[in-house]
Amino acid sequence: MDIEVTEIGEKAAPQRLGRRALLGAGVGGAALSLLPLLSGRAVAAPAEGENTTTTAPPTRPTSADVALLAFAQQLELTARDLYDKALAATGWSAAELTVVSTFRESHEAYAQSLSGLLGADAPGAASPELLRTLGSGWAGAPGKFLAAAYELESAAVATHADLIAQLQGTDALSLIASIQIAEARHGTVLADMAGMTELPDLLVETEANSLLVQG
Amino acid sequence: MSNEMNHTESNPTSQINRRGLFRIGGLTVAGAVVVAACGKTEAGELGSVGEGATTPVLPDPIVDNGVLLRTMAGLELSIVNAYERMLEEGLLAGSSAAYPTLGDLTELVTEFAAHHVLAAKSFNRMATQHGAEAWNCGNTRLDSAYIFPVFDRVLLGVEATDAAPKIEPSDDPLRDMANLIHTLESLSSESCQALMPQVTEADVRATAMQLGVRSARHAAAIALRINPGGYVSATDAVNAQPVVVADATTTTVQDIAAGGGTPAVSDAPKATDVPLPVAVPTQYGSLSPITYIGGRGDENGVRLKLNFESPSLNSLAYPFDVCAAG
Repeated sequence: MDIEVTEIGEKAAPQRLGRRALLGAGVGGAALSLLPLLSGRAVAAPAEGENTTTTAPPTRPTSADVALLAFAQQLELTARDLYDKALAATGWSAAELTVVSTFRESHEAYAQSLSGLLGADAPGAASPELLRTLGSGWAGAPGKFLAAAYELESAAVATHADLIAQLQGTDALSLIASIQIAEARHGTVLADMAGMTELPDLLVETEANSLLVQG
Repeated sequence: MSNEMNHTESNPTSQINRRGLFRIGGLTVAGAVVVAACGKTEAGELGSVGEGATTPVLPDPIVDNGVLLRTMAGLELSIVNAYERMLEEGLLAGSSAAYPTLGDLTELVTEFAAHHVLAAKSFNRMATQHGAEAWNCGNTRLDSAYIFPVFDRVLLGVEATDAAPKIEPSDDPLRDMANLIHTLESLSSESCQALMPQVTEADVRATAMQLGVRSARHAAAIALRINPGGYVSATDAVNAQPVVVADATTTTVQDIAAGGGTPAVSDAPKATDVPLPVAVPTQYGSLSPITYIGGRGDENGVRLKLNFESPSLNSLAYPFDVCAAG
């Protein structure tokens, strides 16, 4: 029967694991433990012919977005100025004034939100060209203003549709989409206030042209 | 005379130390294993060989453009199915005690349904362009958790249980259907808006918003049928006042929202526990849940209340989900 005798002292010294050896063993073990994970990754990679994942779109506006958003802000400030013109007119009922002033405030709020995205690049003023193009209908009795506002809201919806087709940053997309939905509803309200009862008018089936090219 | 140290050195194996005890224990266990292995096996039972079935693994719920577009097609078809049911069962004619000026909604809803059929086709076309299969039935989750329960509560009521008495069918089905139409149109619009940061293709975004804009106008139109003169929310109206109209020479402050900001319209329905919709409920297009309240109240007067939300997680039509209707 063999009996193992553990010797202590000089003879045993070469068999002891030093700190360096322990570290080496630890690093080796860690490398081995990573193998399954790395091999899993390798398996998860798409094979040839499979669909690959798409790159996530940017959240912040790109440099190309900035010009589009600047135009959008000018449009909203133009709309605010035109509603100011309407509010300065006489002959509105209290109910009509409530709606018109609410829409005016909304357009100003949209412009301010766009300022938040644009920062120092925000124009901060209405477009003189747009004011000239759109402003001609904003005169006379409240009924005329309502018709002009109906056209303006439809044009704004069409313009935002153009922007959505071109924007890349998702922050800007989300904001423009939420503005567009609200302005779409404005059109139906203005049609109803103007006494339009036909469904195609209420649903603004004939959308105005986008102002993006005109701006 | 020898000392203890000398005695130990002369008989190194006579002591049982700790190491020896471990060794003996190990030998005992090894021996027991050998003895057990040599034992007789049970006669008449064959050992299993081969591989059994593996544990099923759920596919990864990857959300891509195809999944989102399939989901939207399903949502639009759920709306179409709901409208068709309303039309087939004649739920849109007649009168409503809550909304006396509502009138017959058949023509309006027929028009709305046609739009949603086209919307579903558009979403399915885009889904197939993105490598997904078309989804040709309603959204399973929306149907089972929201739309069917509304119809059941309105048309059938709730059977009595040990804990609660029976709830009769709705006291005003036309009111409940009108509100459901408004809810579904708002949901369609909201869901299209919610797609914007989720889908990656610009053409998909543009088409989705074109459809969403139309649904938003439907929602505004039905809101005005339900609540004539309910143009904007009272909160927005109050926030808009006072408006300072400044031009080159004068500044005018107009107190236009006196009386809570709600326009005074003579034929507006009376406020009840079922909230009246307005055409522009929020300043921006909202993504918040849309509350539906309808049906007859229970013994405490509590009606069915559901929060409709745009599709997410378990309401998405993943590639491994199958449309029951084919």
